[in-house]
Amino acid sequence: MKRIYCKIEKCLACRSCEIACALAHSEYETLVDTLRDQKGVKPRVHVQFVDEEGTLRKVRALAIQCRHCDEPLCAQACISGGIKKDEETGEIIVRLDKCVGCWSCIMVCPTGAISKNENMHQALKCDNCPDKEIPSCIVACPTHALIQEEYDSPQNHEN
Amino acid sequence: MNFLIIGNSAASTSAIEAIRKHDSTSSIVQLSDEEFPLYSRCLLSYYISNTIKKETLLYRSKDFHREMNVELYTGKDFYATRLDVEKKEVICKNNRAFSFDRLLICTGSSPRIPNSIDEGIEGIFAFRNIADAERILEKIPVTRTAVVMGGGLIGIKTALALNTAGIRTFVVARSNYILSQMIDPSSAQIVSDHLREQDIQIFFETDVSEVLTRNNKLAGVRLSDGKIIDCEILVAAKGVSPNTGLIDGTSILKDYGILTDAFMRTSNENIFAAGDVAQAFDIVLEKQAVNALWTSAVQQGRIAGLNMVGQKTSYNGAIGMNSLNIGNLSLISFGITHPIDDSQYKVLVNNQPQRNIYKKVVIGADNRIKGIILLGNNSNAGVLLSLIQRKTDVSLFEEELLDDRFNFGKLLKYGGESEMDRYYKGMY
Ligand SMILES: Cc1cc2nc3c(=O)[nH]c(=O)nc-3n(C[C@H](O)[C@H](O)[C@H](O)COP(=O)(O)OP(=O)(O)OC[C@H]3O[C@@H](n4cnc5c(N)ncnc54)[C@H](O)[C@@H]3O)c2cc1C
Repeated sequence: MKRIYCKIEKCLACRSCEIACALAHSEYETLVDTLRDQKGVKPRVHVQFVDEEGTLRKVRALAIQCRHCDEPLCAQACISGGIKKDEETGEIIVRLDKCVGCWSCIMVCPTGAISKNENMHQALKCDNCPDKEIPSCIVACPTHALIQEEYDSPQNHEN
Repeated sequence: MNFLIIGNSAASTSAIEAIRKHDSTSSIVQLSDEEFPLYSRCLLSYYISNTIKKETLLYRSKDFHREMNVELYTGKDFYATRLDVEKKEVICKNNRAFSFDRLLICTGSSPRIPNSIDEGIEGIFAFRNIADAERILEKIPVTRTAVVMGGGLIGIKTALALNTAGIRTFVVARSNYILSQMIDPSSAQIVSDHLREQDIQIFFETDVSEVLTRNNKLAGVRLSDGKIIDCEILVAAKGVSPNTGLIDGTSILKDYGILTDAFMRTSNENIFAAGDVAQAFDIVLEKQAVNALWTSAVQQGRIAGLNMVGQKTSYNGAIGMNSLNIGNLSLISFGITHPIDDSQYKVLVNNQPQRNIYKKVVIGADNRIKGIILLGNNSNAGVLLSLIQRKTDVSLFEEELLDDRFNFGKLLKYGGESEMDRYYKGMY
């Protein structure tokens, strides 16, 4: 399957990806309307600092989103059975109609890639932008730090 | 190969999925005394508060067992009463015998009911399964006041649910603070304050000493300090004990739960156990322990299933972990959060009362994290959990652990090249 990676040496922590992601997952066309939304539109990609010291050019950061893990801890922890790995695409899918907002997935996600929509009691995470050819965070990244690469599970080599 | 699985819940489901991933042909027979299709009992509190519909309780699709090619027998008749280790056979209440090459025991646990309580009285409930939930739901419309015995996770979840259903709810806790298996007195104080604000009152260091009835219906309770509370519902949430009865009279070893090794195998090489009934290795306690938790059950079931099908896989171990929401106040805790002997540990606290944030980390003499409390801000909880699971030496960055900005990026910083490698190689 394809996974999104961030080249840490290229990321400026400008947060263009976060804005593009929030916009892509809102029901509105424009950023202004998205920001006015009361339902708590949130990005599913998170800019995190590796080093915060120094000038902008020396900052090291990355934009992290769901890794679509091989043995997803979130799916194991989900008490409603609403998180599953799609056997065909390898993607981890959250069924919002099942989610009760217990945050068991946040409790175990090793990269902190899941956030909450507290108003709706729903867990939010990267869905690889299913309707787009290229995920919106990648399109938005001005330094081409974000890339999508075919990723071969280490498990596939074993079997 | 003939697989036989007892129980139809968290542990058994994930065992079935693990077995079928590697073996689509062997026979899997499953027995459960519960009739309702596979559901999540953790959601029952959401069901009685009318937050979710009955359909939402289903943990997998209704076709799960057919799709997985599992021969499922449900109902009281299929309660497994006896295990014959020599004959490799399990006998049910209706005297039917099921033979196996490999057996998995996922019988879970049952609520502990205090002697002073008679479940035959209308209005008195234990809260474990869907049948209990249905009875509570029936009683809710004619209830003004409820009393919950027990200030543990299930007690508080139940109290919150009854409160949401519009019932005035009291919690009777034997200890001097609630959630004592999960958190410390300081954080429990904040949680109690929040519960009180929602009109859930807690009585500490008290117990129900007498049940008051009228026409064999619950009318109220007398507490150990003499106070009387009129109520129509009493829920006993005094913890659970593992359903180990099936191995009674066999050579299989048990302590509190059924003892299992790193492969979730019992002392009999063809018999496995997983979930609430199993006593498996605990990473933090560094010994076998029962962790009666959904996530542990799922993980242990998976390990058991893989080993039953010949995919040798060892269990990293369980960790006590819980997530609970009190209104908008979130709480997650891991491991040992309130050590009895402080001198063995280093304890760091980030307390921001004005923001309702209380975070704590307990670090052992070996510089490994033994326990965590995250109250009021649970983001990145799993990143911290991964440090416990991987037994990371945190001495270089322990001061940063409770910073609101501690996240996966910091892990890359302190983990250096090898951590970066893990990220780019997608080793999750
Ligand atoms: C109200 C409530 C809320 C909870 N909330 C949480 C939570 O938020 N987070 C969390 O981690 N955990 C929670 N738990 C605990 C969690 O539900 C359990 O840890 C989990 O269900 C354990 O799964 P299991 O597969 O081991 O066994 P169980 O779920 O106990 O299932 C065992 C099944 O086996 C059947 N059975 C038992 N003996 C026999 C026999 N001899 N023959 C045939 N069938 C038998 C039982 O009837 C039952 O259906 C909660 C529990 C309750 C009751």
